[in-house]
Amino acid sequence: MTGSRRLVTAHTRTLRQALFVTALAGIWELVARAGRLPALLFPPFSDVAVALATETASGEILGRLGFSLALVGVGLSLAVLSAVLVTAAAMSARIVSEWAQTLMAILHPLPGIAVLPIVILWLGTGYRSIAAVIWFAAVWPLVANLHTGLRSVPATQIEVGRNLGLRGLHLVAQVLIPGAFPHILSGMRVAWARAWQALVAAEMVFGASGGEGGMGWFIYKRRFFMEIPGVFAGMIVIVLIGLIVERVLFESVEARTVRRWGMTQE
Amino acid sequence: MRRLLGVIVCVALLVGWLGLPGDGGSISAARAPQAQEIRIAGQFGLVYAPLVVAQKHKIFEKYGLKPIWKEYGSGAAVREALVSGEVDVGFMGIPPFLIGWDKGCPWKAAVGFCVVPVGLVTNNPAIKSLKDFKPDDRIALPSPGSVQHILLAMQAERELGSATAFEKHIVAMPHPDAAAALISRKGIVAHFTTPPYIFEELSHPDMHLVVDDVTCFGQPFSFNVGVATTRFHDGNPVAYACFVMAISEAMAWININKKEAAVLLAPEFGLTLEKTYRYLTWPGMDYTTAPYGLMGFADFMQKAGYIKSVPRSLSDIAWENLVAFVGDRAGEPSPIQQLQFRH
Repeated sequence: MTGSRRLVTAHTRTLRQALFVTALAGIWELVARAGRLPALLFPPFSDVAVALATETASGEILGRLGFSLALVGVGLSLAVLSAVLVTAAAMSARIVSEWAQTLMAILHPLPGIAVLPIVILWLGTGYRSIAAVIWFAAVWPLVANLHTGLRSVPATQIEVGRNLGLRGLHLVAQVLIPGAFPHILSGMRVAWARAWQALVAAEMVFGASGGEGGMGWFIYKRRFFMEIPGVFAGMIVIVLIGLIVERVLFESVEARTVRRWGMTQE
Repeated sequence: MRRLLGVIVCVALLVGWLGLPGDGGSISAARAPQAQEIRIAGQFGLVYAPLVVAQKHKIFEKYGLKPIWKEYGSGAAVREALVSGEVDVGFMGIPPFLIGWDKGCPWKAAVGFCVVPVGLVTNNPAIKSLKDFKPDDRIALPSPGSVQHILLAMQAERELGSATAFEKHIVAMPHPDAAAALISRKGIVAHFTTPPYIFEELSHPDMHLVVDDVTCFGQPFSFNVGVATTRFHDGNPVAYACFVMAISEAMAWININKKEAAVLLAPEFGLTLEKTYRYLTWPGMDYTTAPYGLMGFADFMQKAGYIKSVPRSLSDIAWENLVAFVGDRAGEPSPIQQLQFRH
């Protein structure tokens, strides 16, 4: 009963959001068509839609998107791997935990893109540098959330697990990780968002190249050829991917895990 | 209900604003007493030496103008500054200028600015021509759509039959970064560059020129042009004329006084006096307001798909002083007319 009601409200919410976005697009079109703003700077929404359609049809957007997603995949996987290693070390020794916290305090506020000049010096231009920037952008929120998540698992739950005979990796997999899952999930969310932003930013600054360029390079190139509808089209694709990952991927994981386990208030 | 009313008022205000007649006229009328103000968009490098001279010698002031100098990182950034109304005149390569013209930017070329040696420099001794580049070799240039990019496309078409053969090789990098990367052999094997970076790079014994600009284009061309918006040109004809004269005077001064120019410019570019003089007098350096190659770039860029239309005549893309300068010879085109095209 409650399940279906929740479904209904979710549907009306989506509907209302869709209506709102359509209205925004309508106002955009109206403002652009009125001719008060130079069309060069503010193209009508319909031009953007046409650019989006032609660039998609030509395969350009899909290819660039594939490249971007693959890069984010590599960067994020490395970030998850290193976050797991750091957290494991931190959980096993108090001093490592303190070091990790200090490092986080120092490096977490630094945006990924700020390290790009150094990364280019060390790794040159190209995909390795961009992957490194993504890694840097994603690893700190991951470590922070993993760390707090594992620390927040109640000692009684761990004791119960021990009493049931769980040891080592079994204890981690069956008690610690499920217990810390809300934190792990929100860590992944932040890490994804930061990684995606870092990728686009890095490609648009100077790691960009024709052979190894994703959506950032797509926008960058459109800017230099003054194809402003194309720039907007690229932005829309970036937003769409962000939305799809958040709405489809993370929400379904959330529904199947923490919500089913009754770990959230919602 | 009250909330709905608020929304209606907002929409009404928006519609009202959209429906009002443009106030562009009243703005320029209000500015008329200060018409002498001129906002100039330049870039950094030896190419822009005449702007530095004009600044240091207060040449614009002599013509009754009050110059406001702005510096940008690329031709595209200068173009954006002109389109958004941030500046009145700007200097950029012919390709960025034509891309803007093709998209409907209200502007034309006001002066030629310089003919300078441009070229593709490599750190790999095995590369003798474009055919020798391997698929993984990366070529740095300032940005897509820059003069360097179009020159590379011209040469690619000549040597490999395809203007887009190197699209996957290009890396967009500012000149100083690319020069450092080329010399330290980090990531790139070649750099399509301009003075003074081309001189610096070629001073290294293990660097060499793969192809120069004149080979790519077929003849010398204006590396940069001064562009004036229609709004500035039509709204302030006197200021426009003064701008053309001030640039001419600054340029003439460099041409006549190369030694003094080197003294003036050396600290600006952070180079030694001796080096600045050597660079100013490097074979091929030519500061001139004469336009070269305006139509040739347009023809190629349209055929290669970088722009959609070509100017029907020079007067589509050049203000009357340039049109008069080039002339229109009856019968066969004159030598200076021929210089506008590729042959």
